Amino acid sequence: MKALRLGFLLGFRQVQRASLWTTLLIIFVMMFTFLNLIAVSGILVGLIVGSERAVRENSYGDIVISPRNEENDILETPTILRQLSSYPEITAYSVRYEGAGQLEANYKERRDLSSERDVASVKVTGIDLTLEDNMTNLSRLVVDGSYLDPQEEGYILIGVYYIKEYAEQYGDIFETVDGVKPGDTVRLTLGETSKEFTVKGIVQSKVDDINLNTYIPEREFRRLFGRNDQNADQIVMRIKEPEKNAELKQTFLQSGMGTYAKIQTFEESVPKFLADIKNTFNLLGTFIGSIGIIVASITIFIIIFINALSRRRHIGILKGIGVEAHAIEIAYVLQAALYALVGSLLGALLTYGFLIPYFDANPIKFPFSDGILVAPPLETLYKFFILFLITLIAGYLPAKLITRENTLNAILGRK
Amino acid sequence: MKDTPIIVAHNIHRSFGTGDLITHVLRGITMSVQQGEFVAIMGKSGAGKSTLMYQLSVLDRPTEGSLVIDGVDVLSLSESEQTHFRLHTLGYVFQDYALVPDLSARENVMVPLLMRGMTWEEAKQKSDTAIDNVGLKGKYQNLPSQLSGGEQQRIAIARAIAGSPKIIFADEPTANLDSISGEAIIALLDCLHESGQTIVMVTHEEEYAAGCDRIIYMEDGLVVREKKRA
Repeated sequence: MKALRLGFLLGFRQVQRASLWTTLLIIFVMMFTFLNLIAVSGILVGLIVGSERAVRENSYGDIVISPRNEENDILETPTILRQLSSYPEITAYSVRYEGAGQLEANYKERRDLSSERDVASVKVTGIDLTLEDNMTNLSRLVVDGSYLDPQEEGYILIGVYYIKEYAEQYGDIFETVDGVKPGDTVRLTLGETSKEFTVKGIVQSKVDDINLNTYIPEREFRRLFGRNDQNADQIVMRIKEPEKNAELKQTFLQSGMGTYAKIQTFEESVPKFLADIKNTFNLLGTFIGSIGIIVASITIFIIIFINALSRRRHIGILKGIGVEAHAIEIAYVLQAALYALVGSLLGALLTYGFLIPYFDANPIKFPFSDGILVAPPLETLYKFFILFLITLIAGYLPAKLITRENTLNAILGRK
Repeated sequence: MKDTPIIVAHNIHRSFGTGDLITHVLRGITMSVQQGEFVAIMGKSGAGKSTLMYQLSVLDRPTEGSLVIDGVDVLSLSESEQTHFRLHTLGYVFQDYALVPDLSARENVMVPLLMRGMTWEEAKQKSDTAIDNVGLKGKYQNLPSQLSGGEQQRIAIARAIAGSPKIIFADEPTANLDSISGEAIIALLDCLHESGQTIVMVTHEEEYAAGCDRIIYMEDGLVVREKKRA
């Protein structure tokens, strides 16, 4: 206790009397180390979380109802929809009908019938235009042209990856049609049935499921695909308290809805590979951050070592007059602790007070995601403890090296 | 009191280096210091006076010999026991004051007191009294850099006496001071001696040693003669 008290006095006074600029520099190093530890993994994980968020907002919502594994579509869809209308927790929902077809463009300009047709295999989704827009704001994803009008027929929305001009930046990985823009006529073919549509708009999103999709009104879809039973392929919904989606799912299951369809929360519906990538990125970020910790611990070691070395004689004198080596070591460990604490505190303030709100408002535009900064407080606290512990060790070792020296040699400055 | 030996050194040797490069700095010193005595160790540069003082003050270990201080065989103590012994029994005044530059005058004096386990208030009170006693009343908060050389040496003396040690060791305490400050420091040590304090001082200035009870002259690592005050 007496060694701790004296160590505190010596350490505190050393920091107090040290050059302000040196202290600020050390604290800055610690702050950036902390940020490196938090922000690198935070942004990497944020890429996936941003992607998940986009999928949740633009496609899946909070709860997803899909066909049971052995079925092709959701059984008793009208019954399910009637049931859903009795839940006040549901703020928006959309019913989707899905099929596959062949989209052909530029066929009117094709003079040589032996030349290759401009076709692409596409996914076709039939939607209730108003419900879908309420649910996913699909109209806001139109980058060229306009959204479908419930009063009109014969119009189609096309995802950007089906259009060569948009998709060619990714190489030759998507089947595309060439030079299609709003107002052009395209032909959608399903087996022997074909129908002409006018392109109303082009949609683009961070969600590939939208970029690789075409949208037509639900009634036209059913006519075209011969789906007269009204059984849908997907029902998605948004609820008042998204974090309570598991509870609502249970309520659905208890009501017997699970007999007709598979009911999943958003989290359950996210593909496993996304969760794997998230964990991988987290590990990668921690690994990169660990290099930062090593650099910071070496920095602290050097700073404390030089500090202790320049005070070698005073350390010798303190030992000479009877001060225990522990008290002197505590003084240096406390200094290191102070640097780590203040640096991390500033880093945390910057992370939670500025960076997270900033990236939430201005996500980093990555091709597949609007990247945000993710830093769960518990994980941050855990990383802080690691940084703090390593800094303490980095402060203790050089102090130990100096205090274990022969007292008289230290006093006389002998080697 | 002066008939009770507080330091008994027998056949103290100290050598440095190994093999052919061995240097014998102390070559069998036997001496004692009585309680309450003021002893000066004198000699030319390289005579071994500082090395002798480091042995007597338990800052170094002799290569050979025995040393009993205040009834304790100090050479049988471990490193940490020696530190503890120095804290409770000995006081030091170094040539260049050796104050901690980051601590105020008061805090410098408080350091060994806090290490002894005194409360902050007790240590502060004792420290202020010691500083008052060396004539620097009111300079408690000054940093060493804000004090003159003579004042710094007074603070060093205050630090040495604050814990009421049994022996004070002073290693050329006037070497870095002008003559006026030097005389003041010697007067202060004299004053402490008059109050019964045992003091061992290394000096190379005859005039400062004149007031001591005894002067030990050294040459080539040996005590060559002693002079007692008449």
